[in-house]
Amino acid sequence: MATESPEQFDQVDWNDLSRSGRFDLSINSIGMLVTALPLALLGVYDWRFVGDRTATFEFVGLDRTLETVDFLFIFTLLLAFWYLVLPLYQNPRRTRYYWKEFKRNRPAVVSLGWLGIVFVGGIVGPLVMNAPQQELLIAYQPPVFTSVVDTTPATCVGEVINGRCHGTWQHPLGTTNAGRDVFTMIVYGMTISMQIAFITTTIVATVGITFGTLSAYAGGWVDEIMMRFTDIILSFPTFLMFLLILYIYGAGLGMFIVVFSLFAWGGTARYVRSKSLSISEEEFIKSSRISGASTYQVIRGHVVPNVASSIITQLTLLIPGFLLYEAQLAFLGIGDSTVPSWGQLIAAGRSDLSFAPWIVLAPGIVLFLTILAFNFLGDALLDALNPEAEAENA
Amino acid sequence: MPSDQLLEVEDLTTTFGTDDGTLTAVDGVDFDVDTGETVCIVGESGSGKTVATESITRIIKTPPGEIEGTVRYKGRDLLAMPESELRDIRGNEIAHIFQNPQEAMNHCYTVGWQITEALQIHQDVSDEEARAKAVDLMDRVGIANASARFDDYPHEFSGGQKQRVMIAMALVGDPDLLIADEPTTALDVTVQAQILRLLDELQEEFDMGVLFVTHDLGVVAEIADRIVVMYAGKVMERGGVLDIFDHPAHPYTQQLLECLPEFGGTTVGGIPGTLPDPHDPPDGCRFAPRCEYAEGACRAGEQPEEIEVSPGQRVSCVHYRPGMDPSVVRNDNFEPVGGDGAADGEGGVSRADD
Repeated sequence: MATESPEQFDQVDWNDLSRSGRFDLSINSIGMLVTALPLALLGVYDWRFVGDRTATFEFVGLDRTLETVDFLFIFTLLLAFWYLVLPLYQNPRRTRYYWKEFKRNRPAVVSLGWLGIVFVGGIVGPLVMNAPQQELLIAYQPPVFTSVVDTTPATCVGEVINGRCHGTWQHPLGTTNAGRDVFTMIVYGMTISMQIAFITTTIVATVGITFGTLSAYAGGWVDEIMMRFTDIILSFPTFLMFLLILYIYGAGLGMFIVVFSLFAWGGTARYVRSKSLSISEEEFIKSSRISGASTYQVIRGHVVPNVASSIITQLTLLIPGFLLYEAQLAFLGIGDSTVPSWGQLIAAGRSDLSFAPWIVLAPGIVLFLTILAFNFLGDALLDALNPEAEAENA
Repeated sequence: MPSDQLLEVEDLTTTFGTDDGTLTAVDGVDFDVDTGETVCIVGESGSGKTVATESITRIIKTPPGEIEGTVRYKGRDLLAMPESELRDIRGNEIAHIFQNPQEAMNHCYTVGWQITEALQIHQDVSDEEARAKAVDLMDRVGIANASARFDDYPHEFSGGQKQRVMIAMALVGDPDLLIADEPTTALDVTVQAQILRLLDELQEEFDMGVLFVTHDLGVVAEIADRIVVMYAGKVMERGGVLDIFDHPAHPYTQQLLECLPEFGGTTVGGIPGTLPDPHDPPDGCRFAPRCEYAEGACRAGEQPEEIEVSPGQRVSCVHYRPGMDPSVVRNDNFEPVGGDGAADGEGGVSRADD
C-alpha cells in the first residue's frame, strides 16, 4: 500500500507504515481497508449486476452513475487521504516543519491555493452543480463585464445597450455555441484534470518504485532484463500505441490514463533504481541489516522512504505533461468527446475564436494556470523535502 | 580453552573480486573474544580491521566479497549458517556500533523508531513496551529528557548524542557481543572520553564481550583488555594491553606506539611508506617493505608464524624465531621467552593481564 500514495510521498508517516512488516496494521491501513472494501464491493456490483445504461445508484434512487475512472479516482483519493493527509495530521511537528519550508516559496503557496480550488471544485462541483445542458437559445453569451455585438448570441440573457449584449452573473464566463455554461464546464473539467493527475501519479509511482527498487536489489541478470525492458518502455511510441488502441477499442478517458501512465513510468523506474543503489550503500542500511532486518524490511523501511522524497518533484512534473497531452489529443479531435475536459472545451470553441474567444480563452487560461501551478509546486516541494538541494541553489 | 569463548574467529579470509583481480582484505586472521572482555583490533586505515569485523556477521556483500574460515559464536559457526538464522543473531545477540553516527541513522525516522527497530524485528513486543525500553536505554546512555526526545529526529541531536543513540540502538536487543567499529573517531576528544567511559560501564552492566576496532592507541590504552594488531590483512602481534604497551615486540607495533606522544613517542609524521597493494601483497612479512629491521628472511615465503614472546603475547616476526636475535628489534634489554613458547617468565616485564 505504501508505494501507491500519490504526489507527496515523503509526507507519508513512515514511522507508522514500515514497522517490521508484520500483521500489526496501522490505523491508516485499517482505515484504507475499511473504506476501500465498500468501494470494491460497489465496483463489483456495478460491473456484474447493473446494466450499462442503468445508473450505479439506481437502488437508492439517485441518478448518478460511476465509470471505471470514477472508481479508480475514488480509490486514489482514499489512498491520498489515509496515507498522505492523515499522517500529516498525526505528525504535526513534521507538518509544521514542511509548511515552514514550503511557505518561503510564495509562488508555490499561491499555486497550492489554486490547485486546492481546482481540487475542491473538481470533487464538490459536479455534486452541487447540474451538468451543463444544451440550450441553443442562449448560445454565445459573453462573460460578465464584457459585451458582444447583439447579433452574436441568439438571444441575449443580459441587457442590450447600444446594440451590444452584456454578460451576466448567470453565465459568468459566458456560454458555448450550444448554450452550455462555460463556468460549469470548467468546473466539470476540474474533475477530469484531477482524475488524470491522481490516477496517473498513482500508477506511475507504484510501477516505477516497485520496478526500480526490485531491479536495484535483484541485481545481476534480473536487473539487466528489467532495465532493458524499461528501455523499451521509454522508447515506445506511446502515441502510436494510443492511436491503435483508439481504433480498436475507442478512446475513453480511462483508456487514455491507463495507456499513457503505463508507458510513462520508465523514467521514474530508472531514477528510483539509481537512487536505490546509492541509498543501499548508505551506512544506515548496513546498520539496519546489522540489526537483523530482512531485505524486504530494509527496502520497505529504509530504501523506499528515502527514494520517495526525491521522486516527488519528478511525479509532480509528470502531471502537467499528462494534462497537456490530454488537451492536445482533445484539440486534435482524438480524445474522449463524451468527457467535459478543458481540452474538449477548447477544441469545441476553436471555430468560434474570431467572435466568441471566451470559449477558448477561459479554459485555456485555467489549463495554463494549473500547469504552471504544478510546476511551481514541484519546485517548492523539492526545496521543502530535500534541504540539500536548496543549499546547492543558494 | 578455545571452546568456552564467546566468539572465536579462525583463519578468517575475506576477498573481493574486482576488475583488477582478487583483493584480499583479510588474510587468515584468528582472534577470540570472551564474555566481559574488551578486545581491540588496532591498525592503520586500510589494514582490514573493519572488513574483519563485518565478516563476522556476514554484513559484507557477497558477491563481490567472499568470506572463508570459521567464525564460532557460542559454538555455532556463523559463516555456515543460513541467512535467516543469522538474522536472528544480528542485532539480537551481536550488535554493531559504527564510526559515523551521522550516516548510520536514517533521517526519515525519529531516533525512537530507530532504537526500537531491532527490538521489534526480533521480539514480539508491543509499541508501548518497546518505547518504554528505548526510553529507559536512552536515559541509561545519558540522553537528558529521554521520553521527550524519543520523538525527535536525528538532525536534532549533536554528534555525541547521536553516538549515544547509536549505542542505545545496539544495546536494545541485550547483545552478548558488541562490535564497535571506531565509535569515537568522529567525535571530539572530550566527548570521546565520555563515550568510552559509557561503553566501559555498559559492558559491565550488560556483561558483554566487546570487540573494539580503532586506529587510535590512546583509546586502546583506556579500554582494552587484549589487543590484536593488524596490518595489511594479517595479524602482526597480539597480547594483553599491558604487555603490548610495555614491551611491544613487533616493529610495526613499536612504530605505532612511537607515533603517540603521550606514550613517549617521538616519531612525528607517522610511519614512512604506505600499505602494500592488497591485490598483490609482498612475499614474507607484510610489513617488511616499511620495516627498518627487515632482512632477507623477512621477504621470503609466507607471513611468519606467530611466536609466543611472553605469556599471551605472540608476534609474527622472523626475528623471534629460534636461532634469531630478537634484540635487533628490541629497543630495551628485554629477553623473550624460549622460541618453543615454554615460558620462563622474565620477572616484571611479562605481566599477565587477566
